Amino acid sequence: MNAVVLVILVPFFTAILLALLRDRPRLEKALSLASALGLTAYVFWLLHRVDTGGIQVTMLAGYPAPYGIAFVADRLACIMLCLSMTVGTVVLAYTCFTVTESQQRYFFYPFFHVLLLGVNWSFVTGDLFNLFVAYEVMLIGSYGSMMVGGTRQQVRQTMMYVALNLVGGALFVVGVALVYALVGTLNMADLAVRTAELTGPRAALLTAASMVLLLVFALKAATFPVFFWLPDSYPVVPAGVNGYFAGLLTKVGVYSLLRVFVMVFRQDGHALASEILLVLSGFTMLLGVLGAICQWEMRRILSWHIISQVGYMVMGIGLTADARLAPAAVAATIFYVVHHIIVKSSLFLVAGVAERVTGRTRITDMGGVVTLTPIVAGLFLIAALSLAGMPPFSGFLAKLVVLRVGLEGHRFWIVLIAVLTSFLTLLSMMKIWTYVFWGRSRRAVAAAPWRGPAVATATLVAATVALGLGAQPFLRLAGAAAEDVVTPTAYVRAVLGGHPSRLARRSDVP
Amino acid sequence: MYLPFALAIGFLFAGAVYTLLRPNLIRLVVGFGLLSNAVNLLMIACGGYSVTNDAPFVVDADAVGGLMDPLPPDIVLTAIVISFAVGALFLTICYVVYRDYGIDNPEELPVPVADDDTFTPRPLPRRRAREE
Repeated sequence: MNAVVLVILVPFFTAILLALLRDRPRLEKALSLASALGLTAYVFWLLHRVDTGGIQVTMLAGYPAPYGIAFVADRLACIMLCLSMTVGTVVLAYTCFTVTESQQRYFFYPFFHVLLLGVNWSFVTGDLFNLFVAYEVMLIGSYGSMMVGGTRQQVRQTMMYVALNLVGGALFVVGVALVYALVGTLNMADLAVRTAELTGPRAALLTAASMVLLLVFALKAATFPVFFWLPDSYPVVPAGVNGYFAGLLTKVGVYSLLRVFVMVFRQDGHALASEILLVLSGFTMLLGVLGAICQWEMRRILSWHIISQVGYMVMGIGLTADARLAPAAVAATIFYVVHHIIVKSSLFLVAGVAERVTGRTRITDMGGVVTLTPIVAGLFLIAALSLAGMPPFSGFLAKLVVLRVGLEGHRFWIVLIAVLTSFLTLLSMMKIWTYVFWGRSRRAVAAAPWRGPAVATATLVAATVALGLGAQPFLRLAGAAAEDVVTPTAYVRAVLGGHPSRLARRSDVP
Repeated sequence: MYLPFALAIGFLFAGAVYTLLRPNLIRLVVGFGLLSNAVNLLMIACGGYSVTNDAPFVVDADAVGGLMDPLPPDIVLTAIVISFAVGALFLTICYVVYRDYGIDNPEELPVPVADDDTFTPRPLPRRRAREE
């Protein structure tokens, strides 16, 4: 059966159904969890199938590529889908314990499923314009999730977030229009074939046009010049959903950079984008971690760390500038994304639990979680050490593979910044540990029930330990996925069926 | 045909950027409307629109040469729907911000401070600003 499109249809219909079940809160919770669990099982099966049997393609309504709308599941897309659904399911389980009645009445669960829909869609789409549509769907889900609860602060930050993303969306369409004018197709496989043939002024024009898309994806991924929106908007998202935001939303930007700038744009001189990304990644890492050090609110510190960590992934993409190292660099990036999504989501979930235990959000007011609930402190310790890159957790390996590619490419300055950032990350994690977890507690019992959310969080923390100790299969998978992205012959054959379209190239467009 | 089109797109973009940068919530919404129109026109222009080309309905099978590319208008339709939906949402959010703070200048909104208590996840009474 060829049903990649299920990853979109299931959250879509679940969201509609949940919106209708507004008056049955328990049923709503059960249904939303069941739908997510079922889809998680499906995407893991899909990953296995793609890994052993090749890329899966669904052409909508049966129109052949490049004319129809393609949904493509290659290894990279499947890895991202598995992460999205795993984190999504854990977050749903977590919110079953934390969501308030009023939040649920304001369509908390339908919005979350719209968010899942948009994120999954952007991973499986094989078409540049559909990527834009998927972004917009994802953003609508995120606006809704961000505003649930409707405090002044939330609405106000959502306004900023919406305003920024509206401009980003408009720029995305500009980029798509320019690419269409220059190449005459928007299907990613077809684009990959045609851009590889471009040379001369047309290639230079395409490189210039691709910079618009670079800006859009950089905005979404929160890299250096356009990261300012993130630390203000993420702390207002309700705890729990916050974990999904932190794990997946910026990584959709990283994924798009990987897909579009490594796989799709192959014209003469396309390495310029990678060179630019490499420089941006240095600033992103360092400024992100410096921003984290001077914050005094737990989730705000962690939000700044997202920026800093995105720097490592963008650094991996930047290292593809050297064509020789491209497969290793992409493999390192993919492994880093896997590690980061799991660890970052679990850190945000632990932060939510710690806030429930202490009843406060400012780290100087929290204190003593380790005496009150040692298990929560242990979960944080594992996730934090993994984020900072201590062996034997996954963060150590993820940093190791990225830095090794940097050393092989003789980019010593970026490696130096990356190592420095790693130390500063450890420093700010120690700050959280000292203020929030160490010391004597001010209360005798926890402020709110914490066991349910803690169990949900523990599953993700266990995943980061497993990823660190049993990394070999994951590294192999990341390597295979990277090969597919760097040399997309299999992708092109799967989508275009071995017959790349030979439409007359538009000559009437300047 | 390209010059008037280019001028129109240019003016719309310029107007949109100017309006977006004004410190006023309503102008933010209007600016976004202008911006999406500019982008849609650009998309049409990139599809190779010209007055000499016919609409893309193939009646005479031999006349494929003189037809307009049907994909960009298709994309623009989708983009219009999306910008309409998001624009409506944005207008609502701007109204709620105005209602809650009583300010229509986003620069005058109070700075979100790190230890602001409104960051804590607690249910707030609805419509507090007006009823008090």
